[in-house]
Amino acid sequence: MKIQESMSISEKLNILSDAAKYDVACTSSGVDRKGDGKHMGNCLAKGICHSFSADGRCISLLKILFTNECVFDCKYCINRRSNDVPRASFTPEEVCTLTMEFYRRNYIEGLFLSSGILHNPAYTMELLYQTLYQLRTKYHFQGYIHVKAIPGAPQELIDRTGLLADRMSINLELPTAEGLKKLAPHKSRRTILGPMRQIQNRMEENRQELMVYRQAPRFVPAGQSTQMIIGATPENDFEILSVAESLYRKFQLKRVFYSAFIQVNEDSALPALPGGPPLLREHRLYQADWLLRFYGFEASELLSEARPNFNVFLDPKCDWALSHLEQFPVEVTRADYRTLLRVPGVGVKSAQRIVKARRYGALGFGDLKKMGVVLKRAMYFITCGGKQMYPVKLEEDYILRNLLSVKERLPFDLEHYHQLNLFDDCGVMR
Amino acid sequence: MRNEKTIFLCEDSVDGIFTGVYDAWDSRLGHGNVKLALKGRANYEMFASYREVETDGEKAEKVARTLRRRLGPEDYAHIYQAALSKEEERADSIYRVAVAGLAGGRSGSIMQNLQNPAVCRIFELSRTTGNEAHRYYQFLRFRELAGGVLFSEIKPENDVLPLIGDHFADRFPGEDFMVYDRTHRLFLIHEAFKQWVLVVGEEPDWEKIGKISDRETQFASLWRGFCRSVAIQERRNVRLQQQFLPLKFRAYMTEMNGGA
Repeated sequence: MKIQESMSISEKLNILSDAAKYDVACTSSGVDRKGDGKHMGNCLAKGICHSFSADGRCISLLKILFTNECVFDCKYCINRRSNDVPRASFTPEEVCTLTMEFYRRNYIEGLFLSSGILHNPAYTMELLYQTLYQLRTKYHFQGYIHVKAIPGAPQELIDRTGLLADRMSINLELPTAEGLKKLAPHKSRRTILGPMRQIQNRMEENRQELMVYRQAPRFVPAGQSTQMIIGATPENDFEILSVAESLYRKFQLKRVFYSAFIQVNEDSALPALPGGPPLLREHRLYQADWLLRFYGFEASELLSEARPNFNVFLDPKCDWALSHLEQFPVEVTRADYRTLLRVPGVGVKSAQRIVKARRYGALGFGDLKKMGVVLKRAMYFITCGGKQMYPVKLEEDYILRNLLSVKERLPFDLEHYHQLNLFDDCGVMR
Repeated sequence: MRNEKTIFLCEDSVDGIFTGVYDAWDSRLGHGNVKLALKGRANYEMFASYREVETDGEKAEKVARTLRRRLGPEDYAHIYQAALSKEEERADSIYRVAVAGLAGGRSGSIMQNLQNPAVCRIFELSRTTGNEAHRYYQFLRFRELAGGVLFSEIKPENDVLPLIGDHFADRFPGEDFMVYDRTHRLFLIHEAFKQWVLVVGEEPDWEKIGKISDRETQFASLWRGFCRSVAIQERRNVRLQQQFLPLKFRAYMTEMNGGA
């Protein structure tokens, strides 16, 4: 392509937001910070989505790459060295102006800054640090900042950057070391997990510091996250979910994101996905991820070596309940919170409401419905005051047939749902 | 014992409803024999007598204070949010919750007693109003006027301005901004480094509002470009977008309007 000396900011924004869009993380949650009364910005722990793009994904942060020039050659990435795409780089001032002016108009909740590797990891990380430093100290921005830690950057630089950011993330990219070696030859498991561990340790130290001195600077207060590409390599759901589980347990990650593989490059090392990105698989993984984080499930309960992939037709919780009918029916008026959480159709909020409300008196099915319990799923698995809602049989085939007749609400068109048998060939299904 | 119901007609506002609660309680007709309704909104009933409630700030403040003290700040927040809702029956439900909440012999919070139909109704109304307020945290858009003032228009169903004022004032302490609520004809006005205020009964100066600053066009089009380029074509899913961002919010959103 032609090398342009000066590009307008709108061209740069187009190129660098387009290049950043394959990163899924766009959350602004995890930290509560009141405004300081002088400068712009505050943070809400629950996060705020400011818009939704045409693919239905939330736009919460100004998600951009600092530069899309990259010395790495990861097979799945649009910005890999061997691709001929228009390249651009921001200056720190440009990033700061965009962030401040967008934030001021309530367009965004903060900045998501990632980058291709310019020259080497240390140089790139230094650029990111300089940008954040300006934004925080010169522009006094108090909003949310999510920044990528570049694998291979010096430890000291990551530490300094973490004191300016709210969340840091390092992408695991692929669930297994073999996959990584095959598709991302310049990255290794060690350079990814190393900094991840380091950020975790630094956060732990920071907790101690804050206990001693409340005003101590906070290191990555909203925690760290990561993302995995789903469907580019032959791992099964059980492997992916086990990796996620150990990341939550051993690295205390806040979130693991799953990104259905989108074919942006033609490459012999990449699978062909004629049915489009594996969206249903991604959806099932997110459902299971929620079961791990909020519902007290373990990966080994949901899947096993013998049954390594999720049921396409049923969500993971219903699927689990159907194969554990011996634990049902659950008596809603007496069962403890953890047991309630395991009932299909009962969520975290409705379980909490049930536990609180039943102290005041008897509950009926009508009350449960008003509290948010999805009775069309829950009715097979609960009794209320010793009675079932309708005389239903606690039988796997019977419940399965009935659950399938209530259409599950999926976040995408039914078209995809039927196209699924195309995935058969890719070994996605059982 | 009287069988006839007495219906207290109160003004359609938080103060009006709280005054109604005060008067209905104070009338000593018995909780079962009174009902609260909103002026101009209620259907008239047979075999009932009507009393007009004169909105009185002092009485309303007493009710608010009592509810806050006796039920706790969280439950009061629910009741207050429900009072900002658009639904007519909120007045009577608030009265019923106050009766249940102020009755003795109860431990814990009244708002957890969701089997009580009035409590459940207030809980729902509070949630609806609170959710709508959160929508405006998300979807409210400012534009910069020629003088540097930020201006925004919204058209909410419930009276959300009192709920969003703190958030935006905390976020933009050094900005002069105003938000105009088209439904309720209310202004939220914040002067830099001052407390925000609500202004009733003023009409916006459309001519002044029409003049945007020089940079505004540039940033608005940068933002539109960003929203377009950040979408992944292979995942295009307009129905999902519409589920999260309903059409009714889009009329006043920068990225959903205006050409290239």
